Amino acid sequence: MKRNTLVLFAVLFILATFAWAGWANFEYRKEANEKMLAAAAMQGELVADPATGTLQYNSPLKGKPAPAFMLEDLSGKKVSLASYKGKAVLVNFWATWCGPCKIETPWLVELRDQYASQGFEILGVSTDDIDADNPKTLANEKADVQKSVTRMHMQYPVLLAGNTLDHAYGGLDELPTSFFVNRKGVVVAAQLGLTSKDDIESNIKKALGQTP
Amino acid sequence: MSQAVPHAGESGQRALFHQICHPERRPPLRLESKDPRFGRTAALIAGVLIVAASFTLAQSDSTSRSILKGAAVEYLYPEQVTIPAAKSTTVTLHFRVAPGLHINSNKPHEDYLIPTTFFIPADSGVRLDAASYPAGSDITLPLDPTEKLSVYTDEFSIEARLVSAPGDHLVEAKLHYQACDKNACMPPKTITVPIDIIGK
Repeated sequence: MKRNTLVLFAVLFILATFAWAGWANFEYRKEANEKMLAAAAMQGELVADPATGTLQYNSPLKGKPAPAFMLEDLSGKKVSLASYKGKAVLVNFWATWCGPCKIETPWLVELRDQYASQGFEILGVSTDDIDADNPKTLANEKADVQKSVTRMHMQYPVLLAGNTLDHAYGGLDELPTSFFVNRKGVVVAAQLGLTSKDDIESNIKKALGQTP
Repeated sequence: MSQAVPHAGESGQRALFHQICHPERRPPLRLESKDPRFGRTAALIAGVLIVAASFTLAQSDSTSRSILKGAAVEYLYPEQVTIPAAKSTTVTLHFRVAPGLHINSNKPHEDYLIPTTFFIPADSGVRLDAASYPAGSDITLPLDPTEKLSVYTDEFSIEARLVSAPGDHLVEAKLHYQACDKNACMPPKTITVPIDIIGK
């Protein structure tokens, strides 16, 4: 009886060790994969499209799942990218102080109106500084973003990221920066800096699966 | 026949050696040889060169704009300045904006734009009494010719009125700015402006 108990404990110990090793290995691989994706996203280059001649952002995130996020909108409601699965999404990084963003945003508003019925949405992610520890400063920062949202008639969800997504989305060294995510959550195109309304529309069609 | 080829190769190698070691005896350059491998090798080299050249040209065409990174503004001088202690004195500080970029002036036309500002952290031994900024140049972006922007480009200078305590102070002053080119903007940045200020 005593021997059987010892054997049982030994077997349970071995199984527990295997289970722990498997879990540790899974966590290690997950972390290594995230690091690799983030490192790849830090690179990238601007390449001329052979068809149109315009510069396209050859982001290493292309063909990969869009990095997940959960951010607050201006009312404090939490919004995640995952909740838009099944829709084509344009994740547009912008800021209140960005002049080219001010030129681009009216194009986005028009294109959203045009393609919303086909399952398209824009998430406007503000990279303006946010000081979550100081309620008064945060209120002023939110008010500045709200002012821009109202002035530019941004009807789509506007989320506050500060610099929290810089690393995952390749540094965000320039604004505006846009990532076009298809219905499966995969990045199919990216744009860095101001290009043209036609370019944006062409990438929206890619995200909707209307063009390859 | 099987021996003729190595022989031809040897003679070719010897000819090459003589061309290098005795250039005065070098025969006129002829792009022909009796060695059948010469044509294949030449074709191969030419092919590689053409591919490399095309690749280089394609690269230079495709990257006509690089991703904006790093500091857009560089502090030029002075590195060291001696001023009377405890007396407000004007020191002109010189800066340079990277080619192709602009930063907002101290008085941008729109309130949403971030102005360029200079400041000195407290407890530096030197106090900024006042700063006088140059007027910006008015520019417009190609895609929005209706909006004028007041900016600094190339070199600009700020006249800082400094009050120094007696002694040598290694001051790490700061310049806060936000840079753009015609298509994109970089996040706001604060650079250190190192100045050795001696108050006498």
